Amino acid sequence: MSETVGARSGDEGSGPGRSPGPPACIIIGMAGSGKTTLMQQIAANLSSSRTPAYLLNLDPAVLNVPYRANIDIRDSIKYKNVMEQYRLGPNGGILTCLNLFAAQFQTVLELAEKRRNQFKYMFVDTPGQIEVFTWSASGSIITESLATTFPTCVLFVVDTVRCKSPMTFVSNMMYACSILYKTRLPLVVVFNKIDAEKHDFAVSWMEDYAVFDEVLREESTFADSLARSMAIALEEFYKNIHSVGVSAITGEGMDDLFAVIQTAAKEYDESYRPDLEARTRKRAEEEQRHAEEAYEAFQQDRDKNENRSSARNTMWAPEEDEREREDEEDQDEEELAREETEKEELLDYVAKLNIERGARPK
Amino acid sequence: MVRFGQLVIGPAGSGKSTYCSQLQKYCEDVNRTIHVVNLDPAAENFDYKLSVDMRELISIDDVAEEMKYGPNGGLVFCMEYLLDNFEWLEEQLEDFVDGDYICFDCPGQIELYTHFSVMRKMVEMLQRLDFRLCALYFVDSQFMADTAKFFGGCTTALSAMVQLQITHINVLSKMDLVRAVDRRRIDSFTHPDYDSLAAELNTQVDKKFSGLNQALAALLEEYNMVSFVPLDYNEEDAVENLLLQIDIALNYDETVDPKMPSDDEVMDPEEAL
Repeated sequence: MSETVGARSGDEGSGPGRSPGPPACIIIGMAGSGKTTLMQQIAANLSSSRTPAYLLNLDPAVLNVPYRANIDIRDSIKYKNVMEQYRLGPNGGILTCLNLFAAQFQTVLELAEKRRNQFKYMFVDTPGQIEVFTWSASGSIITESLATTFPTCVLFVVDTVRCKSPMTFVSNMMYACSILYKTRLPLVVVFNKIDAEKHDFAVSWMEDYAVFDEVLREESTFADSLARSMAIALEEFYKNIHSVGVSAITGEGMDDLFAVIQTAAKEYDESYRPDLEARTRKRAEEEQRHAEEAYEAFQQDRDKNENRSSARNTMWAPEEDEREREDEEDQDEEELAREETEKEELLDYVAKLNIERGARPK
Repeated sequence: MVRFGQLVIGPAGSGKSTYCSQLQKYCEDVNRTIHVVNLDPAAENFDYKLSVDMRELISIDDVAEEMKYGPNGGLVFCMEYLLDNFEWLEEQLEDFVDGDYICFDCPGQIELYTHFSVMRKMVEMLQRLDFRLCALYFVDSQFMADTAKFFGGCTTALSAMVQLQITHINVLSKMDLVRAVDRRRIDSFTHPDYDSLAAELNTQVDKKFSGLNQALAALLEEYNMVSFVPLDYNEEDAVENLLLQIDIALNYDETVDPKMPSDDEVMDPEEAL
């Protein structure tokens, strides 16, 4: 799959004159940070300024989506059915839904790509529990496919009220940092709920370590050296990311948000895209090499099998060596078998998905 | 009376339940007493014996049906309910004797550790009961295949560590599923040389983050707390090795456990800090 993705971005070329396309924003945040409400505010804001946008909901467990989503994971996959069918708990259910969806995400993207000239922004809402998206194979598949098609940035939504506690603040920023390393995309920290708590304190903590240190001293009864060291290390992080304060409820700060998204999209084009393309190319090459190696090994095995009887007779082949090679052979076979089952599982998924979609009344 | 406990945490599908059942099997084999306590209101289908199950007090199904909570709100509600009714847990734990070793199978959602204060409070309450605790943070090693992702994993672990403030061991689970090529890579992360990792990272991420790479490498080096223990059930002594690390971290009383292995395992004394 990575190969086709790579090929496509190559086709479009990175020549001058190429339109980078509308920025796509993946909204990630801890449960309860207000991702869905922010989506609602974004949708309302854009529609009142008559800016066309493409909205995706990837949270299968959300009860109602308070905005008009162009693509809604719940249309094709029913969370409750998946839970029953696969006998999963709430968490496994969400994860499986996302896996099912990731399998057909390429199709979704093609739909969006056809209309790329018709909208100015794309926003993607992710499942409530953050790790379902950030620590899953399907989360990274979705992120990477999106990033190879549109200038993509990540909006990390933070609950400003909870961040009042310096420990929670450091912890949240550390997590934002991990998202940066995992996605390697431009990151915007969005301080949400500024109607309840202004984010000025967060800005001053990010700008000046001394201010934060003082608060930390007051707050914790014992000096927490880990939190302090973390805050010092994070200074480097704050310098290079964007942050913005918004209220998803009142709409305050939304203009700033859109401005920051534009900056991030530009950044993506200048530095992240070349990096991403190089990575995709490298991986495609690696896959190719693996395939070639496997093929060579296969040929060698075949030759060996043909020669084996004669080799045994002439005593030329040292036994030990032979045994080692046989071991390798076994491993290769195992790996092939595993890949085969994985492929079958995926096909199964897609087939089930199609049945589900077909059965859905239009 | 001192009691020992491990908190098993990590995202959905990272291998927590498998660990609990493997741990129980191992402990049966070596005649060591261990109790597994389920603290996940949304868990189902256990393939190991539970000594205490919080779902007897409250489960996510009760909450979802009666109060119309989504999976998230329901989870937080259940955990807070458990805190409010902590006497219930205290009573259940009373049956265990001095020196007993308890494995708490916790919900994985990182939000409970970094965002809400329920788990922090839970830890405090258990500590008040004279529990010595250690957190086991499970990470699926298949997501650790390159240096950038490794740093992502380290920072995730740090974000939970700073809140819980207890000894922390990161477990690289599902090592048996990792491709041979990646395996060497991941093995190198278990004894990391942060300086060279940071240098490598400089070539993988945008130049402007080289300062951050350096700063994080220094932080990880200085504290030497973010250590990763690989877990591959195909290796015979996988559970034993991990348990040894935990015992060291917890200062587990050797006299209680005559089976303490005395081989020449490389131990990191700083683990115990």
